[in-house]
Amino acid sequence: MTTTPPRTGRRFRRRRGRLSPVAVTATAALTAVSLLAACSGPPKEKGGGVTDVRLSASTPQAHGEIDSFTWAVYAEPPTLDYTVAFDYPQNTVLSNVCESLMRWTPGLTTEPGLAQKASNPDPTTWVYDLRPGVRFHDGKEMTADDVVFSLGRQTDPDNAAAWAQVFQNVASITKSGPLQVTVKLNKPDSQFPQYMATAAGVVASKATVEAAGKDYGTTGGLGCTGPFKLGTWNKGQSIELDRFDNYWGTKAKSKKAVFRVLTDPSARTNAMLSGEADGGYLIPTESYARLKKSGTGTLYFGEGLSTVNVNVTDMRGPLGDIRVRRALSLALDRSGFVKAGLGGAGTVTNSLTTRAAWAAAPERTLKTAFDSLPPTGQDIEKAKALIEEAGATGKTLTVATSSIGQDVSLLATAVQAAGTRIGLDIQLKTIAPNAFTALFTDPQAREGIDMFPLTYYDSITDPLDLLQNFKTGAYMNFAGYSDPEYDKLVDQASAVYPIEQRMDIEAKLQHHASEQLLWIPVAEWPTALFMNNRITGAPTTISYMYYPWAADVGAAQ
Amino acid sequence: MSFVRFALRRVAEMAATLLTASFVVFGAMYLAPGNPASFLLAGRSASPEALASINAQYHLDDPFLMRYLRWLGDILQGDFGRSITYRTDVSRLLADRLPTTLLLIVMSLAVVVTVGLLLGRIAAVRGGATDSAILVTTTFAVGTPSFVAAVLLQGLFAVNLGWFPSSGAGDGGLGDMLWHLTLPSIALALYLIGMLARVTRSAMLEALDSEHVTVARSRGVPERQVIKRHVFRNSLGTVLTTGGLIVSTLLVCTILVETAFSIGGIGQLLELSTTTKDFPTVQAISLIIVALFMIVNLIVDLLLPLVDPRVTLGSRSAAV
Repeated sequence: MTTTPPRTGRRFRRRRGRLSPVAVTATAALTAVSLLAACSGPPKEKGGGVTDVRLSASTPQAHGEIDSFTWAVYAEPPTLDYTVAFDYPQNTVLSNVCESLMRWTPGLTTEPGLAQKASNPDPTTWVYDLRPGVRFHDGKEMTADDVVFSLGRQTDPDNAAAWAQVFQNVASITKSGPLQVTVKLNKPDSQFPQYMATAAGVVASKATVEAAGKDYGTTGGLGCTGPFKLGTWNKGQSIELDRFDNYWGTKAKSKKAVFRVLTDPSARTNAMLSGEADGGYLIPTESYARLKKSGTGTLYFGEGLSTVNVNVTDMRGPLGDIRVRRALSLALDRSGFVKAGLGGAGTVTNSLTTRAAWAAAPERTLKTAFDSLPPTGQDIEKAKALIEEAGATGKTLTVATSSIGQDVSLLATAVQAAGTRIGLDIQLKTIAPNAFTALFTDPQAREGIDMFPLTYYDSITDPLDLLQNFKTGAYMNFAGYSDPEYDKLVDQASAVYPIEQRMDIEAKLQHHASEQLLWIPVAEWPTALFMNNRITGAPTTISYMYYPWAADVGAAQ
Repeated sequence: MSFVRFALRRVAEMAATLLTASFVVFGAMYLAPGNPASFLLAGRSASPEALASINAQYHLDDPFLMRYLRWLGDILQGDFGRSITYRTDVSRLLADRLPTTLLLIVMSLAVVVTVGLLLGRIAAVRGGATDSAILVTTTFAVGTPSFVAAVLLQGLFAVNLGWFPSSGAGDGGLGDMLWHLTLPSIALALYLIGMLARVTRSAMLEALDSEHVTVARSRGVPERQVIKRHVFRNSLGTVLTTGGLIVSTLLVCTILVETAFSIGGIGQLLELSTTTKDFPTVQAISLIIVALFMIVNLIVDLLLPLVDPRVTLGSRSAAV
C-alpha cells in the first residue's frame, strides 16, 4: 500500500446540510481510502544480504538451565488444534507441546516417538506399539484409545483437517491392545508412516479434546504429551509455554518459552537486536547482514528442504512448448536472484528437490536423479534460438507477483528480465498478498496467469512429497500436466516401503520432472536461525516444524 | 427541534447506515477471489467430503442474499457468528483484542487534542517567528505517513536509545501496556497533530479578525480574557467538526501502525481476516468501525450547541 502523502494546507470543512445514510457510508469508505495517504505503506529495505553462507548441522549444546527465553514468530497461529496445524507459526509452537507417534530428528531422519515401535507385518498394515507410562499435560496416562481418537479427528470430514490427505489410503484405525494401535490401509502407502512424524501423527488426550469441544485449540490446554504445556496465550501478542515436569523424555532446559508475535519484518529484526526476543527462525532476508554484524548473537543457516521455483500454471499457452520453458530456464539469472532475493543465502539449482531430501539414497540413485539435468548457468544465445525455433518470439506471458516477500517479487522481476532478453513479452501482474494466497486455492485467481514464484518445503524427508505434485489431478498440478508413465511411477513409489528401492523410482520421477521443467527450479533455500549470545541449542534444520526443539534451548555460558 | 425527535432520527439513520455498510462489505467480500474454505484447509488438497462439510457448516454454498440475511438474523439476536479462520466465536476474538486498540486510539486522541490545540493556539496568538516555526513543524508532521513515523520512532527511541520497547502491547498490565503503546500512539497521532494545529490556528485567526473581538478589546477586556472567551471558544466549533475526521483517521491508520509495531489489535485482525476471507470477523470489525465513526459524529453534534451558541441541535451551520 503506497500512496502519496496528502497535500498540506487544505482546510477541512464540513459540508452544510445533511448526508443520507448511504452517502455517509460511501463517504466513510472514501475517507478511509483517502486517509490511507496519511499512513501509507512501509518503505522497502534494500540489500542487506550475506556472502559466505555455510550450513551448520547444529548449534552448540546448551550449558545449563534458564528461566525463560523469548522467540519471534511472524504471525499468530489462528488456532493450535493439531489437525489444522499446517504452517510455520503454528508448527513452530506446537512441535514443543504436542508429540506424534514418530519423531523427526534435527538430522531430518525419523525415529520412534510416542510409539516405541512401528512394525509393518504386511504391506497394508502398520502396527504402533505405544510407549508405556506417558502422561498428558492433564495428568492422564496415554492409552491406545487416545491414539485412535486423535487420528480419527484427522479423518473426520466435519473437522476439515489440513492433514486429511495423509489418511487417504487408510481403511481403519483400531485399538489392538491397551498400548497398541493397528492401521489398516487400502493399498501400500510409503508416505503414511513417514507422515506419522508430523502433526498428522499427533496424539492428544481424548478427555481434554472432548471437554474443550468446539473451542479446542483456542482456549484452555491442548492435552498433549510434549516437554512444554500451553501456558498464558495473550491473544494477538504472545503465547507462553511452561515446562512440563512429568515429561517422559529429557526435560526442557528452560522453564518457559515465550513466543512473541511480530508481524512486521523490521520489528522482528529490531526485537532480536534489542534483546526483546532472544531468537527466531525465518529471518527476513534483508536483515541477514544486520544480524550477522550486530555482535549480539549468531546467525545460522541449516537444511530447509525448500526450493524456490517458478510454478508453471498454464500449458495451453506458449509454455506448453518445452522449448519455451527451456529457453526461460536458460535465460534466468539464478545467481543474481539468490544474491538479491534470498539475501545471498541459497544455492542455484536445476533440481526441483533439495539434495537433503535424498539423504537416504545411494550414490547411483543420486546420479540418476541429478545428472544431466538442464544447466543452471545463463546462455542467452541458446535461449533466443530456442524461442525462435518454437516460433514464440514476441509472444506474451504473464507472471504473477506480490509484495509478500523478496523471494516472490524479485523472482518475478528476474523472470521478466530473462524473457525480455530472449524476445518474449513478459507482463507482471501484481496481486495483493491476500489474492496471492488464492492462487493456490482458486482456479479463477489463476486465470490469465502463466506462472508464479513458489517456494515449496517438504514436510517429510522424501522427494516424493514434491514430485507427486505432477501426477494427473494432483492438487498443486495447476497446469494440468498429465503423463500416464509419470502417474504409474508415482503410484509405484507410493507403494514401495524399502527406501533405497523407492528412491530408485523417485530418481526417475525427479529426472523427468526437472528435465521437462514442469516447474522451473531456481534455488535451494536453507533455513535461517538467529540466537543471541544468551541462549543456544536450537536445531538449524527445518525439523523445528515437528521436533520439540525448544526443549534443547538453554544457557549459552 | 426537540431533543427526542433529534435522537430518534439519529438512531434511525445510524441503523440504516450500519445496514448499508454491512451489505456493501459483505458484497465486496463475496466478490473477492478465493474461498474461505480453501484458506481454512491451508492450501492442501482437501477431500470433497471435507470441503462439502465446511461449506455446509458455514453455509458457503448458499446464494449471496440468503447468506447475508442469515448473518443479519444472527446479528439481531446478538450472535456475531464463528470466525472461519480462528475457529472460535467472533465475540471472543474481538473481546481479546479490542482493549488494546481502544487504548491505543484513546492515547493517540489525548495526544492529538492536547498538543494539536496548544500548538494551534500558540501559533495564532504569538504570530511571527513562533508561528512560522510551528507552521514548518506541522508541515513535516502532516507530510509524514504514520508508517514512516513508526519506523523513525522505533529506530530512535527503541533500538538506539532503548527507552521504549520496539513492538508489542505488553503483558496485559495497564502500566506495561501504556509503556508499550507510547511510541505507537505518537506515530498514530503525528499527522493529526499537524492537521489539528493548522485548523485551530486558522479558525482562531479568523476569530481574531472578527468584529466582536475588536469591540471587546476596545472595551478594555484583558487580552487573556479575549483570547479565552471570544477567540478560542468561537474557534472550538470549527475544531470540533474535525472530530469525526480525526477519529476515522485514527481507526484507519491503526491498521498500519498496529502492523508496524506488531500490536495484535483489531486493526491487525481486520487485515488478516480480509486476507483469508473470514466473513464473520470482517463484518463484525467493519460494523464496529462504522459505528464508532457515527457515534463520534453524534457526540460532535451534541457538543456543538454547547460550545457555539449560534448552532442549534441537529443543524450544523456552524460559523465556518
